[in-house]
Amino acid sequence: MTTEITVPEDLWEGDTEGVITAWLVDDGAEVAQGDLVAEVMVEKAQYEIEAPVSGKLSIARAEDDVVAKGTTIARLEA
Amino acid sequence: MTALSPLEEFDLQRPTVEGGLALDEALLESICQGERRFGLIAWSSTDHALVMPRRHERLEGFPMARRALLDRGWPILFRSTGGTPVPQSPAVVNVALALRCRVGSSAAHLEWGYRRLGDPWCDWLASLGVQDADLGSAPGAYCDGRFNVRIAGRKLVGTAQRWRRVRGCKDMAMLAHGAMQVGETPEALVEVVNAFQDAIGDPQRFHAASHVALAQALPGLDLDSALPGLLERLAEAS
Repeated sequence: MTTEITVPEDLWEGDTEGVITAWLVDDGAEVAQGDLVAEVMVEKAQYEIEAPVSGKLSIARAEDDVVAKGTTIARLEA
Repeated sequence: MTALSPLEEFDLQRPTVEGGLALDEALLESICQGERRFGLIAWSSTDHALVMPRRHERLEGFPMARRALLDRGWPILFRSTGGTPVPQSPAVVNVALALRCRVGSSAAHLEWGYRRLGDPWCDWLASLGVQDADLGSAPGAYCDGRFNVRIAGRKLVGTAQRWRRVRGCKDMAMLAHGAMQVGETPEALVEVVNAFQDAIGDPQRFHAASHVALAQALPGLDLDSALPGLLERLAEAS
């Protein structure tokens, strides 16, 4: 089963776009639910993105990519 | 659980820059671990460093720029909040406020966090006689953002945040950080950031006229006696 990791809709107000500043795990790595996987920066604020489920990570958006709220940045294959 | 009241941490701490960054991280983590719902620290470093988010390490030419800055006596360190390079030195006082909040509650996120830090800061400046303090951008300043604490449009305090999920629930922990230049001249610190810009091959340069130090706005201020007033305002607003 595939689960998408998205930039949560409730992380910040307005339509400002953020930037993926870091992937904290490698593409293809196994992660556990709740693990920190990425950081997104918007307006000088760093937000940590967690894995919603356990599985094998497939990164869809690279570091320094610009992302909007709701953007799928990776997928997890359970 | 930590029984410490935030009021017990109102003394200005004097760590190294690395130690100060660790204090910020420990404060945020204490909220994430559920040890407390609010905390406040103030620190000013005993040494110098140019501090930036780790993503700058990916810039082409970073290793050379790091050596060039080190040769000037400014080692580069990384921080966990957003933004761009900022000099840390004994001329800078840092205040970090961390609290736990509920996502989707009436407490909005980013802008709310900046106002939670910046509005009491402006009130504190007003209490000291500064009548033109507000929040806003300062074009030409290094690490500019929409929520600097400004005096007459010049950047006094740079602000940034970090958000992390509280363990085991949907609450978030927010750390809002303010770095206020209290001494030296803006030229002295802007020069360091511009040296990094030069070394990294970035043509953007910053301007001292976009910054102001507290000592310029309030000459003769006894900071040691005035600073607790800022921290009390930040605590009372929670």
